[in-house]
Amino acid sequence: MRIKCPYCGERGNDEFSYLGDASVKRPDPSAADASDAFYAFAYERKNVAGPMQELWYHAAGCHAWLVVTRDTRTHEISDVKPAQDVALEQQKTASAP
Amino acid sequence: MSNLANGLAAGKGASISERSDIAVTHVAARRGARAALDDAARTAFGTALPSAPRVIEAGTATIVWAGPDQWLFIEKAQAGSDPSVKLAATFQGLASVVDVSDSRTLFRLAASGPSEALIRGMGIDFEHNSFKPGDVAITHVSHLGVMVWRLPDGSGYEFACARTYARDFRDWLGKV
Repeated sequence: MRIKCPYCGERGNDEFSYLGDASVKRPDPSAADASDAFYAFAYERKNVAGPMQELWYHAAGCHAWLVVTRDTRTHEISDVKPAQDVALEQQKTASAP
Repeated sequence: MSNLANGLAAGKGASISERSDIAVTHVAARRGARAALDDAARTAFGTALPSAPRVIEAGTATIVWAGPDQWLFIEKAQAGSDPSVKLAATFQGLASVVDVSDSRTLFRLAASGPSEALIRGMGIDFEHNSFKPGDVAITHVSHLGVMVWRLPDGSGYEFACARTYARDFRDWLGKV
């Protein structure tokens, strides 16, 4: 499997390390159900068969965190974005009226 | 400073040397300061900093892309004048500036094209002229982190690796 790093270009997956699902969000610690929400945040993951967004780290390259959209059945990668850009985009969407 | 290259035989038809008497400084842009940092670089070096994996010669400095919003500045070491202190003053408040001269060892391979070791041993494409003069890659060689760039005039390649792995890397570079 090869991942096209937006900064470095296409590299072998030996240069990357895998964190997991990029869609989980840290819950609000002040919410009433915070304890359950944090349990789910830390431990509960979907076993996706198909495209999912994942966090990968270009450890042996430019040290950027990436959000990779990968089909778990075929390893086909349809999209790679810097995690920073994804986070900033989500912040913008969240704060938009 | 050590001089690892001299005691070892160079690879077939290639001349490998360790670069000495240089100062290496790592510069990382502070959040949101990139535009101002480019302005400061234009004033001091006559050029904006590369946004893509490229190396540029800018007056007295060689500026190597070292990851998003990060660069290595390679300058001649001078007695009584520390280039990293000057850079810290130039980029005051805009970037984190660290002198890494003693933690990086730089090698130069004088060759018009890639050696067999590069083609076979590195995970990036050196063939078919795809790694052009001025190109930079951050990658690894047998688990050792290495930066490689092709000199802008096409006369060779340079490598930066952690000083403690320099002998192993030098052995590898001269193997084939």
